[in-house]
Amino acid sequence: MSVQQATLQSLKAGRRALWRQRLAENWRVFRGNLLGKIGLSLLVMFGLMAGLSYIPPLIDPMYHPMTGVDPLVVKSTGPSLTHWLGTDFMGRDILSQLLAGARVAFMVGVSAAFMSVVLGTAVGMTAGYLGKTTDTLLMRLADMIMVLPTLLVVLMLAALFGQLSIWMIVLMIALFRWPGVSRVIRAQTLSLKQRPFIDAARVAGASHTRIIFRHIMPNVLPLAFLYMTFRVTSAIVIEAGLAFLGFGDPGTVSWGMMLQWVWKTGHMFTAPYWLLPPGICISLITLSFYMLGRAMDEVLDPRLRDETQAG
Amino acid sequence: MRKYIAKRLAQVVVILFFILTVLFVLFRLAPGDPVSRMVDPEMTPEDAQHLIEQLGLDEPIWKQYLIYLKNFASGEFGYSIHYGEPVARVIWDKLPNTILLFTTAVLLSAMVGISWGKIAAWKKGKGADIGMTIAALVTHTLFLPWLALLLVWVFAYQLDWFPITGMVSEEVFLDPDAGFWAKAVDVGYHMVLPLATLFLIHFGSYLLVMRSSMLETLKEDYIVLARAKGLSDRAIRNKHAAPNAWLPVVTSVGLSLAFSINGGALTETVFSWPGIGRELVFAVSQNDYPLAQASFLLIATVVLFSNVVVDVLYAFLDPRIRY
Amino acid sequence: MAKCFKRNMMVRGLALAAMVTVLLGGLCATPAAAANGMLKIGVLEEPKSLNLWLATDAWSKRVLSLINEPLFIREPKSNELVPWLAAGKPVYDAGKMTYTVKLKKAKWSDGSDFTAADVIFTGQLINKFRMPRHRSKWSFIERVVAVDKHTVRFELKRPKAIFLSRTLTTPIVQKKQWEKIVASAQGAEKPLTVILRHKLTNPIGTGPFVVSKWQKGVFVFMKANPHFFGRGQTISGHKLGPHIKGIIFKVYGTADAAILALRKGAIDFYWNSIQAGYLEQLKDDKDIKLFVSNKSGLYYLGFNLRKEPFDDVALRRAVATLVSKEFIIKRILQGYGEVLHSMIPPGNSFYYNPDVPKYGYGKSMDERMKLAYNILREAGYTWETPPVNANGEVVRGEGIRLPDGSPMKEFTILTPPADYDPHRAMSGQMIQEWLRAAGMPAVSRPMAFGALIQKVKGQHDFDAFILGYGKLSLDPGYLRAFFHSRYNKPRGYNMSGYESAAYDALSNESNNAMDPKLRQEMIFQMQAMLMAAVPYVPLYNPKVIEGVRIDRFTGWVPMLGGVGNIWSLCQIKAK
Repeated sequence: MSVQQATLQSLKAGRRALWRQRLAENWRVFRGNLLGKIGLSLLVMFGLMAGLSYIPPLIDPMYHPMTGVDPLVVKSTGPSLTHWLGTDFMGRDILSQLLAGARVAFMVGVSAAFMSVVLGTAVGMTAGYLGKTTDTLLMRLADMIMVLPTLLVVLMLAALFGQLSIWMIVLMIALFRWPGVSRVIRAQTLSLKQRPFIDAARVAGASHTRIIFRHIMPNVLPLAFLYMTFRVTSAIVIEAGLAFLGFGDPGTVSWGMMLQWVWKTGHMFTAPYWLLPPGICISLITLSFYMLGRAMDEVLDPRLRDETQAG
Repeated sequence: MRKYIAKRLAQVVVILFFILTVLFVLFRLAPGDPVSRMVDPEMTPEDAQHLIEQLGLDEPIWKQYLIYLKNFASGEFGYSIHYGEPVARVIWDKLPNTILLFTTAVLLSAMVGISWGKIAAWKKGKGADIGMTIAALVTHTLFLPWLALLLVWVFAYQLDWFPITGMVSEEVFLDPDAGFWAKAVDVGYHMVLPLATLFLIHFGSYLLVMRSSMLETLKEDYIVLARAKGLSDRAIRNKHAAPNAWLPVVTSVGLSLAFSINGGALTETVFSWPGIGRELVFAVSQNDYPLAQASFLLIATVVLFSNVVVDVLYAFLDPRIRY
Repeated sequence: MAKCFKRNMMVRGLALAAMVTVLLGGLCATPAAAANGMLKIGVLEEPKSLNLWLATDAWSKRVLSLINEPLFIREPKSNELVPWLAAGKPVYDAGKMTYTVKLKKAKWSDGSDFTAADVIFTGQLINKFRMPRHRSKWSFIERVVAVDKHTVRFELKRPKAIFLSRTLTTPIVQKKQWEKIVASAQGAEKPLTVILRHKLTNPIGTGPFVVSKWQKGVFVFMKANPHFFGRGQTISGHKLGPHIKGIIFKVYGTADAAILALRKGAIDFYWNSIQAGYLEQLKDDKDIKLFVSNKSGLYYLGFNLRKEPFDDVALRRAVATLVSKEFIIKRILQGYGEVLHSMIPPGNSFYYNPDVPKYGYGKSMDERMKLAYNILREAGYTWETPPVNANGEVVRGEGIRLPDGSPMKEFTILTPPADYDPHRAMSGQMIQEWLRAAGMPAVSRPMAFGALIQKVKGQHDFDAFILGYGKLSLDPGYLRAFFHSRYNKPRGYNMSGYESAAYDALSNESNNAMDPKLRQEMIFQMQAMLMAAVPYVPLYNPKVIEGVRIDRFTGWVPMLGGVGNIWSLCQIKAK
């Protein structure tokens, strides 16, 4: 083992330790944040719901959220022992649908957010690092996409190309929600570019890709992660809005879809047990991600942290 | 400054042209058939073809594109397939309704949100602040169509205070004696619930932005100085702190406009408010290409220009920025 | 500090209160439903156009059906064609192939006379410009001549069974009003477009009502037409008014709003079929009467016979066996529909053939699976896991293989989207599950309506689809258009690609058969042929549920398609 390798290893170990320390510190601050705590506990609850969604269909096929119907029920009925939240117009169990909806919300929210953040980070770093024409072009594109009302754009695409599957919807949301992320990441990259360690790396002969991935990316990732929580909110809301208007994926039981069913089948005024739960869930999950995002904002932004502690 | 505005406007025009082209390509790629609903089962394929030709849907693609550009340049936007009227006229009928609802909602929520945000920051940590912040957080994240349905359920159905949907009542508009004010009151009465929906969703974001921006400002030296000079709280808050806290709010208005427009379309749909958003949803589902394209372009134009206005406004408000 | 905060809040509170007061002022400004003999009808959308030739949407047709009248219409009780603008039954001259029709001495709503010239003009207009929705009913008319001012003679190129039921039921427009428009279209490059795009705000008609005021997006007000030819007359045993001063069509946008308006008494009638979900709340209301009427509808599952896997009749029969129409009707339609076994609904009793194969009707899901399994096994299909095991028990089938041994490829069932028709979208979902239980790789995919039609009708690029016709003509002429090989081309109506020389010949013959009895026999035979080949699986014919308030008006006339019809509106009276 050469000396160089040993140094490199100890350097890596040191970096890991630093990371761990930073994480522990952040967690401590996070725990002190009321918003963050509420948001996180709500999220845990929704996570539980999503996990539990696999159970009802195992008890009885009639609890399958999409295709299971109670053989004794042919219309919407209120809460009962067999159906804790009642049934929809076909005799399907609303509770099982609600649980399945949590799963879909997580799936849509997290995957759309992840994709848009990856895309936004990539574009932001490229634009910030390369600068010049690339920067101008990418940022003008970002400006343009940023101001488009995503729901209406996806709605138009959904109507034009036939009903979109849930994954297409996720992809569309990701494709239209990256510019905000890329702007912030670009700004961060620009400031990083001026730091001495980047220059040092360049002098040492590192390639552009290496500089981007090894030196810039680790430093913008926390910020990107923060943005992800906000993107989750918007992705869930857009999917729900789309489903509500009747342009969602009909093979998926999402909360927006449930609201569409209650609205379109004429049960809005007669079945509060059906109207209330999906709406409350969408609102609460949005709220919890939002709170989490704000809490993380404070954790990651030392300036805000000082202020919290001072105040 | 003038040069900057000119540059921004030029950019907007380029972007609009780009959107226009993307729209054209999208709508031609789509597999929809706008005449499918106009033919009867026993119509021969030859006659159906004749109709396609008559409507100009069989022209070569480049020619269609030129016609399309010409229509937009002339401000006529072509003919709506289902109304059989120039698109401009269809839109013209609906635009004032949207403007009425939307601007009232934005102004009202901005006014309330900003003034309450100011107070919340001033009373940081006190009951009023916590109460307002929580209210803002909760209402801001409510799912809009659901909130709308809920308001209808409670205030129009259970309590029967307001009409369920629509914009005017025919009694008033058919009554020859009804003057302008009677009509205005009638419209206002119909507007309460949609306005409440948009207001509840939006005031929170203004409040939160104003609050945090105000907190930043309050830490600035000149506020400390003002305090030291012994100025009253009220004077410091309204004369010194607030004007500077405005800047981030202005930016956020511009950036959240797209979000608000989504909400506007959903609100119009739930309340059957005869506006552009509802028309766009309808046109899209009916494959009325020209109408959908024009409505979308109109919305994009409004958003783009508002952003220019916001940027320029920002420059005026912030003496530190010079172009 | 605290004080000024309070004062600030107070000022704001006052301002808000003042605003609310102004807005609430509207409460008092809305008078109770004016008891002035106006009928208020709730509709979902406003009419798109009052130009008869352009209007294709249901809402425009509702308004226009009260303005532009045809020579003959269907009588509610017998469902037979009776003279309307015509004065008597058409007289047929078989030798010369002509029909002579005497016209009523009616007047247009502007006071001018309705004459033979108007009928001739309408026919010419349709043929000259190839009016999209009317051309097929007039293309075989050689010419129309005026025998005298109030008699017209139709000269046919060839005998055509649809002449009576379709051609003579075309609405007639006024020559005086349209002459100028036609003249302006003549020289144009795209004459049809000029006609379609002509904006008509005051269509002149012969019907019971005329449009008086149209507040865009809000309401259409129609006044009673003082020149209506039926006023005070008795036509086919119906004494006609109209006895009301006018009709206000109120646009509600959502069914919720319209139903609520009906319950509150803001409208007297909601002219649309009501979703079963609303019935609970309407049933107990003693001021509301519900009418459940049949309609002439055909909702079906169609196959693409041009390609694998549905080019095989055995598979089509198996699918027909697996589809539980009873389930769809009971659950999805909430019981408001009738099972269809043939391409002609049973309500059309003269042409409906009750003796066609019924593919598993009345059987349980397990029995259906066994039946389908047998059909497929005999045709040479194999499975990795057959849906019926060695003990004869039904299990979940997997991995079906075609008779040639290759695995069945995934196929798609296209349906309209849920916002357009939740019933069909959901039926598709259920059918997908049933077919999957038999091991078939089925995927149900709702698609925007225009895109769906384009794929199915325009490009023939599909496996299976669910579509429907809500207002099928009572004349069975459509059987020919749906399955004749001549229409098996892009944009043609033979979407499934069924081709049979025997069927072509028979349907041609039936199309020209002027003797009803003979035609009936042929139509029976055609239905039997179709149900043996199953290019479509007929699913259901939904019922129309309509709600009417009975506290202000009486005299609604139920008929096929519901109480929302011209007879009702000509006969209802204020209480």
